[in-house]
This record gives sequence, C-alpha cells and structure tokens, in this order.
Amino acid sequence: MIDLKNTDPNFKWEIVKQEGGEDLLKCFGCSDCSASCPVRYFDERYNPRRIIRLTLIGIKNEVLSSPFLWFCAHCHACTERCPQGIKVAELINGIKNYAVAQGYYPSGLKAQLNLLNNQGRLYEVEEFDLKKRQKLGLPPIDKRIPEIAKIIEGSKVLKKVAQ
Amino acid sequence: MRNYALFLGCTVPVRAQHYELAARGVAKELNIEFVDMPNASCCGFPIKALDAETSLLIAARNIGLASKMHLDIVTLCNSCTATLSDAQLKLKSKEFYYKFKNLGFSYPNEIRVRHFVRMLYEDIGIENIKRAIKKPLKSLSVIAHYGCHYMRPSYLYGFDDPEYPHTLDDLINATGATSIDYLDKKMCCGGSVLGVDEGLALTLANHKLSVAKKAYADALISICPFCTVMYEDNQRKVEAKFNITFGIPVLYYPQLLGLGFGLSQDAVGLKFNRIKTDSILEKLT
Repeated sequence: MIDLKNTDPNFKWEIVKQEGGEDLLKCFGCSDCSASCPVRYFDERYNPRRIIRLTLIGIKNEVLSSPFLWFCAHCHACTERCPQGIKVAELINGIKNYAVAQGYYPSGLKAQLNLLNNQGRLYEVEEFDLKKRQKLGLPPIDKRIPEIAKIIEGSKVLKKVAQ
Repeated sequence: MRNYALFLGCTVPVRAQHYELAARGVAKELNIEFVDMPNASCCGFPIKALDAETSLLIAARNIGLASKMHLDIVTLCNSCTATLSDAQLKLKSKEFYYKFKNLGFSYPNEIRVRHFVRMLYEDIGIENIKRAIKKPLKSLSVIAHYGCHYMRPSYLYGFDDPEYPHTLDDLINATGATSIDYLDKKMCCGGSVLGVDEGLALTLANHKLSVAKKAYADALISICPFCTVMYEDNQRKVEAKFNITFGIPVLYYPQLLGLGFGLSQDAVGLKFNRIKTDSILEKLT
C-alpha cells in the first residue's frame, strides 16, 4: 500500500529538468524496459519500470537511497524497445545524476572522479607503461591532461562530490 | 591512404596495449594511416552517472581536437564510441555549444566518430578484407561479442541491427574462421556494474562464457577493453564463483584479423593475452 501523503509530487518535475530526464512523463508503465533488461534477467532487485513508476508517484527517498538504482549497466537494451521512444538508459542516468546532487552515490564513482580531476585519465600512466609502449613500438602518451580539471571545476555537483 | 584520428581512451594505451598493437598492425596492412591525438583525455564516460553534462563536455573537447585536425575519429572502445557520439549530437544544441565554446574549445570541421570495427566494415568492406587474407583461419570457430555500445543506442549510430547484429560476424567470417551463431548475442558483459556489485557482474559474464563453452568455441572475440576485462581478466573469478572450468581465450578482433593477414603472434601481441592462446596457435599450424 502506498500512502500518498508521504509522496513528493514535485519530484518528477525535478527529474524532468535533468539531462536525460526530459521524457519521464511519457512512460505509461508497459514494462518493456524491465523485460528487455539483462540485469533484471539475472537479478530481480533491479527493475527499471519500478524506478520510473516510483519517480512518477514521488516516492523520492526510496528512489534516491536505493542501491538498485546503480545496477543499471547503461546497455540501452531498454531504449531500443521502449514503445514511447523514451531513452530509458538516459532517463535512469538522469535520476542517478539527481541522486548525486542530493548526496547519494557509490564510493567508486567518487574515486573515478578524483582520478579524472588529477590526471584527466582513469589509469595513471607510469614510467613502466611508457617504457612498455616504447618497447612495443607504440607512440608515447600524455601522463596528465590538466584541462579536464578545468571542465570539472565548472560543475557545482562535481565540486561537491570531489571534496 | 586513408587518414583517421586514433582516439585511445584510458584503458587501451595502458591496460590493453596488445589491442592497440594489433589495431595499428592491421591498419598498416590495409593502408590506413592513424594520426595520434596529442592531449586527448578520457572520453568522459566514467563520470556520466555523476554528471552527464560535464561528461559530455569532456567528450566534446576530444571531438574538438580531432575536428581541428580535420580527421574523422576512430575508437577502440565501445564506451568511448558512445560517449563521443553522444557529445557530437549534443554539440548541435545551442546551450551546450555555448558552454563548450566558453571553455575555450572549438569544433571547426564536421567530423565522424566510429568504432574501428565499424570503420573496417564501412570504409574497407568485407570483400577487400577477404582479399587481404593471406592465411585463412579455416580451423577456428569463435563467438562474436559485440558489447553494448557498438550498435546501441541506435539513435546515435544508425548502424547494424541493435537486436540482431551481424557486422562483427561478417568480419570474422571474412578471415576464414567460422563465427558461431548463438542466442543472446546482445547480452551485456557486466563490466559497468563491476564497481557496484561484483557478484552481479560475474553472473552476467558467466552467461556468455557458458555459451562459448557449450558451442566449443576456440575463442571469444571482443572489440571493447571493458568487455575483455569481464571475459578474460575476470574469467578465473567466474570459474570460481560458478564452479566451472572455461579456459576460453579472448581475442580482440584486430588480433584475429592480424593472424589472417599472416602477421606474427608477437605482432598481434598474443603473449599479452591473459588466457593462454596456445590452443589457437596449435590449430593454426
């Protein structure tokens, strides 16, 4: 039973404003996304339709604090099948982005952000790597791309996460 | 000579040099010139879940670099292909373009972004590849793993069939090897949930490794470094979790193609494959 007194009717409008969230209201709940989802196939805890319905009804806390939101592999199997033309994987990503702004995200993502902030790459390029590349006849690569930190600096949300 | 800007991304140049080596090797055989992109960064995908717009600005900056070189981008990673393609679409939005320009970046020439395998299929073509094969790999049967972002989302690519892809199978068959047909070709490797729930990621990887085993495949052919992390680097973990033995070599498509071109095993970097490829080499002698 859902007690509508505890729902937030504004939640869906917040998501619509997100990058990827534009098409949220088009969902009529057919469940094609869940039926197409490879993650859902193996683990019933993840259910894209449920996340979208909870968002539309406004059960904000459950959507934002649930670890299952992060189970989306962003594989776009759902996007290809949605009869409403919703870019479902982008919509789920938009909900993730909103959750991040509210302080909910897996710690691994913060580590990835810090790596990009420090070096502009996910993996550190060590002397060993450069030597191995040279030995194989591969051209050298830049260890750091400082411009990436400048781009990240422009995002309020990322500045908060990186702290 | 055809020229392309080669976008390496994060993983390939430090964790999958054998993929890069083989890609450059087969490109040379096909008279393709790769121009490197100084100052290219991560594609931006790793932080998409945190902030999509910033991730796309990072991607767009890379597109700008190639645009200034007036060259189409060729990538070796599925996620890089999707993120760069997404940013390219996004550059058409005035609001995004304004932010991009304000960061001091520019996009002077319209360019294309494609995965290396797609470029081989479209610009070189199956017939020319067949003609370049010096040692047909007739004794090999393999399964093709496309990975998610090679043909999906179709609104970005408009290439191949998002439900029943065939281009990689065609390219494999062109080497003389047999690409085994199977169900669930578009199943995800699980790589993108590895950091969130390892057990779930291994379960997804197990699915296709099991398909390969049941089909007696000599190898699984990958075109994405993330997928290879799941099927090759984590194969032992999948074996332990599901109490099963695979020992299935995972080759990047350019490695397979290189063998067909008659390149040596060192030239396609086979010694860097983490699952031993001796069984394949024996079949080829």
